[in-house]
Amino acid sequence: MGKTLFEKIWESHIIVEKENRPSLIYIDRHLVHEVTSPQAFDGLRMNNRKVRRPDLTIATMDHNVPTTDRSLSILDKTSSVQIQTLEKNCKDFGIKLFDINSPNQGIVHVIGPQLGITLPGTTIVCGDSHTSTHGAFGALALGIGTSDVEHVLASQTMWLEKPTPFEIRVEGKRKNPHAVTAKDIVLSIIKNIGTGGGTGTVIEYRGEGITDLSMEQRMTICNMSIEAGARAGLIAPDEKTFDYLRDREYTPKNYEDLVNSWRSHLKTDNDAKFEKQFTLHIDDIAPQVSWGTNPGMTCDVTESIPSPDEFSKGDSNQKKGAEKALDYMALEPGTAIEDIKINRVFIGSCTNARLEDLIEASKVIKGQKISSNVQAMVVPGSQMVKKQAEEMGLDKIFIDANFEWRESGCSMCLGMNPDILSPGERCASTSNRNFEGRQGTGGRTHLVSPVMAAAAAIKGHFVDVRRMDLS
Amino acid sequence: MKGNIIKYAQDNVDTDVIIPGQYLKVHDYAELATHTMEGLDPDFHSKVKEGDFILSGKNFGCGSSREHAPIALSHSGIKAVLALSFARIFYRNSVDGAFLLPIEIEQDAYDGISEGDEITIDVTSNEIKNITKNQIYQMKPFSEIIGKIIAAGGLFKYKPDQD
Repeated sequence: MGKTLFEKIWESHIIVEKENRPSLIYIDRHLVHEVTSPQAFDGLRMNNRKVRRPDLTIATMDHNVPTTDRSLSILDKTSSVQIQTLEKNCKDFGIKLFDINSPNQGIVHVIGPQLGITLPGTTIVCGDSHTSTHGAFGALALGIGTSDVEHVLASQTMWLEKPTPFEIRVEGKRKNPHAVTAKDIVLSIIKNIGTGGGTGTVIEYRGEGITDLSMEQRMTICNMSIEAGARAGLIAPDEKTFDYLRDREYTPKNYEDLVNSWRSHLKTDNDAKFEKQFTLHIDDIAPQVSWGTNPGMTCDVTESIPSPDEFSKGDSNQKKGAEKALDYMALEPGTAIEDIKINRVFIGSCTNARLEDLIEASKVIKGQKISSNVQAMVVPGSQMVKKQAEEMGLDKIFIDANFEWRESGCSMCLGMNPDILSPGERCASTSNRNFEGRQGTGGRTHLVSPVMAAAAAIKGHFVDVRRMDLS
Repeated sequence: MKGNIIKYAQDNVDTDVIIPGQYLKVHDYAELATHTMEGLDPDFHSKVKEGDFILSGKNFGCGSSREHAPIALSHSGIKAVLALSFARIFYRNSVDGAFLLPIEIEQDAYDGISEGDEITIDVTSNEIKNITKNQIYQMKPFSEIIGKIIAAGGLFKYKPDQD
């Protein structure tokens, strides 16, 4: 029987395999950031261990760096300590660090691909759940906790029970690909399969609806695999993948040889078997807006807030969850999504802060001003994205529309730096999680695409971007 | 193991409510523990006692890979979380550091056990006994390896060669 892409990558990385046991797998790349690594380095010191492969370990600071003027000192003392700790750890253990002043600094899941560190067929880990992003390049990319970070630092390996392969087919063609985006595809998938729908699996996204996407759009899809509970999500590499990674700063010297090998074997065999399957038809899907407190609580922009009964379909915990979510979000069933007013807009995060996201959002706002009731910010995913956007004049478009144009980092996606919502504020956000308090205590998050966030900034409420001219 | 139940009768208790992002900078675990469950239950810190168990629904611990979540629960005194299902990274983090026992339960235990009930957990017989209500439920057994890692006191204390 044939093998899935995931199984091929898995098998080529096994060091130890025993029946009914987790396998020990080799890790090709380890990405490190300031929040989930300090205790891991402490653990190495306590046991007199070294980092086994500093050459395969890359660090940056993204979670709690300020996005304001970097020439000023960091006001938050605990953030400052965490950042200095990473600097010391990288120095002591010989790890390459893109620090706060580096032109390569950025969100770890944005810079990995941008620098050519993320490669097809590799295993990649990071102490961050959105590591699944790198699966867009046909890598097996896993988010891990701090104990596993320490294990990988010490051994370049990790123990893992083999996940099961899950095929998600995305079929058809979007009628308006500028208005209906990769974010809308992945939110539609999670809405359908649920936040636990992918638990214990590695998703492979396949079909015309996926191969049509650019690399940056594919990253948006794989990024949110974790929101469906999956261990990882991946997409078979193709010419778009190989072109994207060619001539990056860390692209390997023997790149064309690697491409030839990837081209021939990094794909799922025709007779391979998936243990689970789901198909989404995208010909007629609408822009998506989350209304609740997990990414599965999402509906079309043309719809109204569902009642807990409609949403739960008889499941009592789902019903209770919806009631609680509506209470937290201060929303009533039956309210049209387009009637929901917002006060904040956040265009950023490892889901949607790449150059294409900013280009598409800028088309919506060009020549317009944001609503007087709205405070809006753009936080580019990396310093490189920021520079490229500025070279294209996108910063001026955003600033002219009264957006704040910030330095790169995770920012308001998770509320670790000063960029947070105040209690009761309602935000159209291009990030990945709408959990209670995620963007600040009492803050209310609606997950949307960059163009939907930009349109909401202009109008002061959600609006179907398909009605706007985005050419 | 014997303890009292703190019940969150809902699915999808995420790691952002277990320990909100703003506290991921806190390195003192005793201080971290004062913010446990702050996003969902601001009274948690005042009511939790050493040895308590949490009971909840499906997909417990979904979201972020922050190991701070099981650490914060553990340093608050929580010895086990009983849930209908777990998000995998949370489950793994709980086991890796032997912070707490992630115990998968069936619907009968979820429905039958109430806030405040005193229960005992026996991981060798896979029995959960509700002392308050005099009822017995079965937990899903740990896979052999998980049981051994927990018994050893975590990933770094477990020696696979000795099997």
